Amino acid sequence: MVILIDYSFLLIRGLGITLWISWVALLLAALIGALIGLGRTSKRWSIRFLTGVYAEFFRSIPVLVTLFFVYYGLTLLTGINLSTFVAATIALALEGSAMMSEVVRGGLQSIAKGQREAALSTGMKAWQVELFIVWPQAIRVMIPPAVGVYVSTLKASSLASVIGYVELTKTGLLIRESVRGHSGSLLILVVIATIYVIINFAISRLGAMLEERNNFVN
Amino acid sequence: MSTEPGLSVIQTDPILRVDSVTKSFGKKIIFNNISFNVQAGQVVVIVGPSGTGKSTFLRCVNGLEDIQSGRIVFEGDIVNAHSKNIVSLRKRIGMIFQNFNLYPHLTALENVTLAPMKVLGESRKLADERAMDMFRKVRLEHRASAYPSQLSGGEQQRVAIARALAMNPSLMMFDEPTSALDPETVGDVLAIMEELARDGRTMLVVTHEMGFADHVGDRMIFMDGGTIIEDGPPSELLKNPKEKRTQQFVNSVLRPN
Repeated sequence: MVILIDYSFLLIRGLGITLWISWVALLLAALIGALIGLGRTSKRWSIRFLTGVYAEFFRSIPVLVTLFFVYYGLTLLTGINLSTFVAATIALALEGSAMMSEVVRGGLQSIAKGQREAALSTGMKAWQVELFIVWPQAIRVMIPPAVGVYVSTLKASSLASVIGYVELTKTGLLIRESVRGHSGSLLILVVIATIYVIINFAISRLGAMLEERNNFVN
Repeated sequence: MSTEPGLSVIQTDPILRVDSVTKSFGKKIIFNNISFNVQAGQVVVIVGPSGTGKSTFLRCVNGLEDIQSGRIVFEGDIVNAHSKNIVSLRKRIGMIFQNFNLYPHLTALENVTLAPMKVLGESRKLADERAMDMFRKVRLEHRASAYPSQLSGGEQQRVAIARALAMNPSLMMFDEPTSALDPETVGDVLAIMEELARDGRTMLVVTHEMGFADHVGDRMIFMDGGTIIEDGPPSELLKNPKEKRTQQFVNSVLRPN
C-alpha cells in the first residue's frame, strides 16, 4: 500500500491522459457522428446508404481490430508513421462516431413531423427549422445515450495500452510490473478499476444533471 | 361575408384559385379534380367524412404536400411545393393544426415571436409587443410565459392561433382545430375563430363543427370520396342539400340529441 502511494503521481497522470484521449476522441466522434447521423436521415437514398454502411461497419468491428488496422495497417499502406496517441484517437473516434451517428439519428427521428411542418408553415427556411426547432429538441433526447457513448469510449481507451500508449490502464500495468512480488501487485488492479468506476459514475451523474437542466416537459 | 358566391358575376381576383387539382400518393388518389375559388374576406368551411382528403388539401395549399396535376394560385403566385418561392408564400398563409404543434422547448411567447423575428426580421422588442397584442386577442395574456406542457389543449390551440396571427397572414387555414380538444374548451377556440371571421380574415376551415360552419361560414364545401360534392351557402347545404350524399352526411352529423 505504501508503495502504491509513491506511484500516486503516475496514476493521476495516467488518469489525465485517459480523460484527454477519450475527450479528444469523443469530440471527433460527436462531430463526425453528427454528420453521419444527419446523412442517415437524408432524403437522398445514396447518402442514407453510404452513411448507413459507415455506421454499421465501424459499429461491428471490435475497437482492438480497428486500432491494429489504424496503427499497423495505415502505416503499411501509406508509409506514414502514426504516433500511438494519433492511432488510438483515430480508432476510438471511428467507433465512437458510428455509435454517435445512431444517437443523432435517433434524436432527430424522435422529433414529431408536426414540429417541422408547423415551423415551415410560418415561413421559416429549412435550415432555420433545423436550427431553432428540431436540433434544440433533439439534443435533449441525445444527451443520455451520448453520455453512454462517452463512457464506453473512455473504457475503450484502455485498449490503447496494447500498442504501448501509456494511459491509465497501461500506467497500472507498468506499476504492477515494477512492484511484482509485493502485496501491491493485485491491489493496483483494484485501484485502477476503482478509478474507472468513480470517473464513469461522475460522468453519468453529470449527464443526468445536464438532462435535468434541459428538461422542458414537467 | 357579403358575397353570395352563387350570384356573384363580377368580382375582384380571388385570393385563392384552385383549378382541377389532383393529389395522389403513389397509385392511391386522395382527391381528384378539385376546383373552387376563395375571395378575400370569405370564410370557407370544408366538411365531409374522414379520409376524404380535406386535410391533405389544406397541406397542398401551403406546399407541405405537392400536387400531381392542376394548379393552385395564391395571391397571383402559383403554389409549387418544390420551388424556392414556397417559403415566401407560406409567410402569407397561416396554418392551425389539429394537434397544435406548439414548440415544446419554447414558452408560449417565444412560440409566437420566433417567426416574426426570424422570418420578418422584427426586433425582439417589437415582436414581444405584437405577440402580447395577439395574446390579448386570444385572451391568454396571463399565460404568455408558460410552456406548452403547462397549458390545456384549448389554451395550446389559442397560442397556435396567436402564432399564426403574428405573421399577419392574408389567409388562415384551420385543419380540424377543435378535434383534439376536450369538449369544454372547444367553445373558447371557436369563439376566437368567430372573432377572426368578424374582423374580416380570410379563412379556410376544415371542421366537423356544423354549428360553427352554419353560423360563421360564408360558404360550405362538402367533400366526399376525394371530390367536391356540393359547394354553396352553409344554410343551403344543411337545410336543402341538393345531392343525396350531402343529405346523408348532414343527417348523420345533425342527429337530434
